[in-house]
Amino acid sequence: MLDKLTDPALVRRWGGEIPVRHRYTPGLAGEAFFTALRDRGVLLGSRCEACEYIYVPCRLFCERCFAELTADTEVGPGGTLESFAIGYVDVEGEPLDEPVTVGLVMPDGADAVLFHFIVEQGEEPLEIGMRVEVVLRPPGERTASILDIVGFQPAAG
Amino acid sequence: MTSGVAIVGVGHSGFSPIVAGLSYKELMFEAAQRAYDDAGVHPRRDVDSFVCCSEDFLEGTSIFDEYVPDQLGAVQRPVQTVSGDGLFGVATAVMLIRSGVARVVAVEAHSKASDIGSLGGIELFAMDPVLNRPLGVSPLAVAGLEMNAYLERTGLTEEHCAMVVAKNRRNALDNPRAAYPADVGERQVAESSPLFWPLKELEVARRADGCVVLVLASGELAPELTEAPVWVLGCGWSSGSASLESRTWGEADFVRRAADMAYGQAGIDDPSEVVDLAEVDDTFAFKELEHLEALRLAQAGEIAEMLESGEVETDGELPVNASGGSLGQGHLFEAGGLARTMECVEQLRGEAGQRQVEAVDVAVAQSWRGVPTTSAAVVVLGTGEG
Ligand SMILES: [Zn+2]
Repeated sequence: MLDKLTDPALVRRWGGEIPVRHRYTPGLAGEAFFTALRDRGVLLGSRCEACEYIYVPCRLFCERCFAELTADTEVGPGGTLESFAIGYVDVEGEPLDEPVTVGLVMPDGADAVLFHFIVEQGEEPLEIGMRVEVVLRPPGERTASILDIVGFQPAAG
Repeated sequence: MTSGVAIVGVGHSGFSPIVAGLSYKELMFEAAQRAYDDAGVHPRRDVDSFVCCSEDFLEGTSIFDEYVPDQLGAVQRPVQTVSGDGLFGVATAVMLIRSGVARVVAVEAHSKASDIGSLGGIELFAMDPVLNRPLGVSPLAVAGLEMNAYLERTGLTEEHCAMVVAKNRRNALDNPRAAYPADVGERQVAESSPLFWPLKELEVARRADGCVVLVLASGELAPELTEAPVWVLGCGWSSGSASLESRTWGEADFVRRAADMAYGQAGIDDPSEVVDLAEVDDTFAFKELEHLEALRLAQAGEIAEMLESGEVETDGELPVNASGGSLGQGHLFEAGGLARTMECVEQLRGEAGQRQVEAVDVAVAQSWRGVPTTSAAVVVLGTGEG
């Protein structure tokens, strides 16, 4: 038995591919969030009165108390960096040409975070707890998607 | 008073970076043969129900539950698949037995990870398709963000994570089934390539092929089948918040809930006083530390001292991942929880060979389904009925 073999190419096997295509419905809440982002350039959230918790993006329901919610609260555009990580590999583990930085940002007024890129970094090293602000695509280039947000950058001053 | 359910047989195949030549069905057959032999049961005669744990995308087959009965001796018998870690299968088996539906249940999970050609793509498909996936970054980003938040909250450092890697790879040297035994220095870990900093290459468990099968039996039957039943004292499971946006970052609150459910059934108030051995998820080195805290086996402020004093070594006060964990044994995907349970069973029976821990009466095994999930399960096992 070739037990501690480590190269899959040396083993007899049959190749296969799963061609997966899908369309995902963002839902009523997603529609409200992405429309507000595209048309007004704002981050729309939902407040749960009972839980005293503000979700972002907005939601139709509260995961904590099961209440029905509406898209009623604008949050940001400033926020706080709750965590960050610097990526050196792509999805399949191959080295990236340029490292990519992602972060968790809690927009002002929200209790949830957004997962997005950290861009336009200056000389100062990133730190958890630092102030950041959202960077949006120009109005004419927005398509009502999460990529209408370019990322977050350290706040000026 | 009986706890009602005991593990009466364990069997495995692998673990290895590639189990060359064997199909997943043959891997399962080998592990099942060993488990049935260990329990002294025949699947066509004695096993009332079969539970498998698998995920279609990892198998490359839709409706994979159709592909499991034959190699387990389960054709034309009750079989079900749980889409989750093997410990969720153990929970199902406990319920089948306690409800009186079955007296003997086999639980199976495996990894034929070497067959997967695009693991990153599969993991990316676990991310929210509208909010997170469009960024196109590796799901390892979630692990890097969690690690940074965890270290920030606890004051622990990358050096402490490197100590976990060194310990587990070294422990694996005493485990004949481990895929990645090695003497790895903490400096080597620090100097390994950053994947999603602060997460580095040697802090990530490498995938392995393998299969684990457990046989569980009712309290009445277990003593007839084996001289050394290992009792399931408690079994809990929980989910945190699914979304990256609203989950708790920097601590494993879902593991805490699963553990409290299991400890509650076992009648354990303070696990740090009772538990002699822990096999916890270490898919990423920092996760071992985060999970120890969530299992209430250590306070965050005690962990540095526990690592530095050797308390978590195999000859220490609370051995953690004496098996080598996933870092040393290999990342077995849905079979991870069963591999940890099997280690606990062997330790409780006194059959763990060179890595045998002294005086083990109560052991805990815990699983987590990996990024980007917040799903966890915990079993508490003991030599006494509890
Ligand atoms: Zn609420």
